[in-house]
Amino acid sequence: MPPALMNPLMPPPPPPSVSVSAPPELEGSDDVSGRSVTQKRRFGDLRGLQWRVDLGVLPSESSTSIDDLRRVTADCRRRYANLRRRLLVEPHIPKDGSNSPDLTMDNPLSQNPDSTWSRFFRNAELERMVDQDLSRLYPEHGNYFQTPGCQGILRRILLLWCLRHPECGYRQGMHELLAPLLYVLQVDVERLSEVRKLYEDIFTDKFDGLLYQENDLSYSFDFRKSQDLLEDEIGSHGNAKVKSLDELDPALQTIVLLSDAYGAEGELGIVLSEKFMEHDAYCMFDALMSGVRGSVAMADFFSSFPVAGSQTGLPPVIEASTALYHLLCLVDSSLYSHLLDLGVEPQYFSLRWLRVLFGREFSLDNLLIIWDEIFASDNSKVEKSVDDNIDWGLRILHSPRGAFIAAMAVAMLLHLRSSLLATENPTTCLQRLLNFPENINIKKLLEKAKSLQARALSVDISSPSPLIIGYHLQSKSVMTRSQTLPSETVSPKTPVNLLTDSYWEEKWRVAHEAEELKQDGIEQQIPTRKKGWTEKVKNTLRRAGSDPPPSRIKNGKKESKVVRRNILEALHKALGPEEEAEQMDCHEILCKQENISEAAEGVQQNDNSKGDNSYSSDDRCPSGNTGIEESSSVYSDSTSPPNEANYHEITSQGSSVASNLYLDECDETADTSLSDPPLPVSDHPESIPETSESTDVDVDKSENIPQMSGCNNNDPGNSATHPKEKKQNKFQWFWKFGRNTVEGISGKVGAASEPTKSTSSCSNQSNSQPPVSSTTSEHFTSVSSKGDSVDQNVMGTLKNIGQSMLDHIQVIESVFQQDRNQGVSVENLSKNILVGKGQVTAMAALKELRKISNILSEM
Amino acid sequence: MVLVLALGDLHIPHRAPDLPAKFKSMLVPGKIQHIICTGNLSIKVSLFLSNSIEVHDYLKTLCPDLHITRGEYDEDTRYPETKTLTIGQFKLGLCHGHQVIPWGDLDSLAMLQRQLDVDILVTGHTHQFTAYKHEGGVVINPGSATGAYSSITYDVNPSFVLMDIDGLRVVVYVYELIDGEVKVDKIDFKKTASIHTAH
Repeated sequence: MPPALMNPLMPPPPPPSVSVSAPPELEGSDDVSGRSVTQKRRFGDLRGLQWRVDLGVLPSESSTSIDDLRRVTADCRRRYANLRRRLLVEPHIPKDGSNSPDLTMDNPLSQNPDSTWSRFFRNAELERMVDQDLSRLYPEHGNYFQTPGCQGILRRILLLWCLRHPECGYRQGMHELLAPLLYVLQVDVERLSEVRKLYEDIFTDKFDGLLYQENDLSYSFDFRKSQDLLEDEIGSHGNAKVKSLDELDPALQTIVLLSDAYGAEGELGIVLSEKFMEHDAYCMFDALMSGVRGSVAMADFFSSFPVAGSQTGLPPVIEASTALYHLLCLVDSSLYSHLLDLGVEPQYFSLRWLRVLFGREFSLDNLLIIWDEIFASDNSKVEKSVDDNIDWGLRILHSPRGAFIAAMAVAMLLHLRSSLLATENPTTCLQRLLNFPENINIKKLLEKAKSLQARALSVDISSPSPLIIGYHLQSKSVMTRSQTLPSETVSPKTPVNLLTDSYWEEKWRVAHEAEELKQDGIEQQIPTRKKGWTEKVKNTLRRAGSDPPPSRIKNGKKESKVVRRNILEALHKALGPEEEAEQMDCHEILCKQENISEAAEGVQQNDNSKGDNSYSSDDRCPSGNTGIEESSSVYSDSTSPPNEANYHEITSQGSSVASNLYLDECDETADTSLSDPPLPVSDHPESIPETSESTDVDVDKSENIPQMSGCNNNDPGNSATHPKEKKQNKFQWFWKFGRNTVEGISGKVGAASEPTKSTSSCSNQSNSQPPVSSTTSEHFTSVSSKGDSVDQNVMGTLKNIGQSMLDHIQVIESVFQQDRNQGVSVENLSKNILVGKGQVTAMAALKELRKISNILSEM
Repeated sequence: MVLVLALGDLHIPHRAPDLPAKFKSMLVPGKIQHIICTGNLSIKVSLFLSNSIEVHDYLKTLCPDLHITRGEYDEDTRYPETKTLTIGQFKLGLCHGHQVIPWGDLDSLAMLQRQLDVDILVTGHTHQFTAYKHEGGVVINPGSATGAYSSITYDVNPSFVLMDIDGLRVVVYVYELIDGEVKVDKIDFKKTASIHTAH
């Protein structure tokens, strides 16, 4: 048979002389699927058999005897044979000569729907439909799947199943669910024949004369072999033959016993039988489709009507897609919100993923491994302790198998995470989703999925229902809106995770009120900006917000904080000139990062005050608002109750952040590039020198100084107590200060901005995201309060600025020193050529900064 | 398995207005693989009937594979006098039958059958359904599908024939409209080992 040739899991049979201790196939499959999985299974090496057990065709209790297995097998086959006899119509062959009295009804042109001929024509119609799909099934494995025999088996099974389940009928994709099932059975049979070939030699040598010799080789062989094995099991170790049999792997014994033609039920009970492959495949397919004693029934995924008892009233596949996004939202909120922003609804891609159980995304061999895992997961419903009214929809998450399927899909999404986040419109996003990379580490993916599965199961139970409903409404509204919005709109919906200690959050709560007022005034002065660059930065910022390494949270040392602040300033600086002092934008981002609801209000004000300014945030505002509202509705539900009217969202945000931090820890394992704490620190200073080089030194000065002073002032951590009105005034003063200077050189900046953009954004994306987000939040609070001291005495402030600048420079330098010490690791990890160069330029820029600060402090 | 519809002598609209409604409702597209028509469809229906398609076109809607021989009233000279075609294991011969004298005579028809070298000969013209097993073959006259009168008979029951050809076996279903009721009859015919496979 051709499959032996094409099956990569099946190496050529070992030479007969080898005393086979472990079947080579076993090792082959183990290498990929992981040994732990196989160990717990009874028929790990016989995938087809294992699947039959997992799918509930055969009893799963480990105590089940081989004879019982055989009996169940035989029963299944009889059922199928009956079905086939009953349903497959051959009208032109009379069943017997006698039954032709009612020719008026049973003729080819009969209009009676119950007539044999009508059924025949209906079947023929169905067959045509099935054939259309079957003829295109796995063209790359055509030498098996396209053979007439295989096609015939597949066609009959599908036909019978559809006739048996007229409420489902045939849907495209069912054939792709069936084909792997038949394939594994074929592989099992191949394996059996191999074992048979292998042991025939040994056995005939040893037992010549012991048992009868017949011409019927296969049957006598079976008999003898099983006899031996039985003896072996009983423990009759008396004679020489046992010696070699002792070496027999128990798995092989099972194979032999399962294929013994003289066991229970005779030939019909041969569990591994090529003759009854069709029957077995049908039973498996039926079990898979109808989800025997479980909650995941693949047939549901093909139906377009909600299942009875479904609370959501959605078709099951849509419901499952919703569950998928729900899980994604819990695991990786930034990716989730990105997809929502683009209007990529889960069913766009998950319909295909779920209906054929990822059959289209992976090669057949990988698919078998994935299905191993899927089927290995228990399909029974998890009994929930929570009461019924919390049991909203998302049935897929109710069983371990369903949860694994969802987790697998999410793992796939996470696998594509970076490329998905880089997409700027739904088309490319879907393109990437629907062209899943071929060469993937399936093992890794499965591990990830397994960890997610556990989460999915636990999360589902604990998560309250309104969240889901909210999600659905939200996704609907987003979809409708996103059509009119630019696809690259900023997503403020991100439930951003704040890295800062609770101290900063506290401070922010007090400070942010002033922000809103300030923004009002400031925005009047905002000139037009360069859109693309800003958005890129925003994107990076946003992305950064999602991945805070937990390590950062823990070592909240003073120094690192300062460093981070510096980094932020650099980024801010970079932003500033590029956007021609359009700090408001940055401001906005920070707002969003800091607190979504704040941003919403801010943006609204923005909208009101701006009117038809050329400022392009008009476009973004609606999206921002809606997004915020949605996300707040989503997240506030799941978290603590509101404190006060004003701070309601803030608190909820804060607590949701706290809960998200835990989630992100898990996520962290996937993002290996982010897991190294020193790396981001070391890498980030790049952006400082580069930006400072690209802009004029003067600009740097003017831009940086206020910010730094703000930082400096902030350090004592007393800004929370400052009166808000005061801050507002001072803040405005600072914005003006920065803007004026920048405007003068905006032309220059424009030219210089391009390299900066690429390098800094590159470095940001590559490995320094977490610090950015953390610093942004800190910085923002600092900005809000920085005006304080200036108001009292400008000169004093300048002095302070100089002082703080010095401090910061020192910090940066010290970091650089550290970097050199860790030079090797940095080089390895970042893989970025820019690192070396960036450090040099950074040092040069630092010298410049030092000069400036000296001048300032002299003043 | 192939279904072949055989009919002829419709004489629309000169001798009959249309196919009987019961026949029309039975003849639906998608079931029949071939249609063989002995001839005498007569002229365009469009002049007289509201559905305004020719009989030829109507038959085409049932099945695109349509074979017609020319009857004495057919004005379309494209139709041949005789036609043979092979369906499955069977070779079919088609002729209107007005050329075979005496009309409807089995021996004369058997001559034509040998001449055409066919297993099944389908002729018409007499407007009477007949089916003979003859010399290892079958000679069939489907009668008139519309029940049109002929030069021999006045009282004609509309009838046509459906052949279910499967391997070496052919089942002939005869549909006859008697007193407003469709009566179906069945004739089994097995081809005795390959006469024509030697060719």
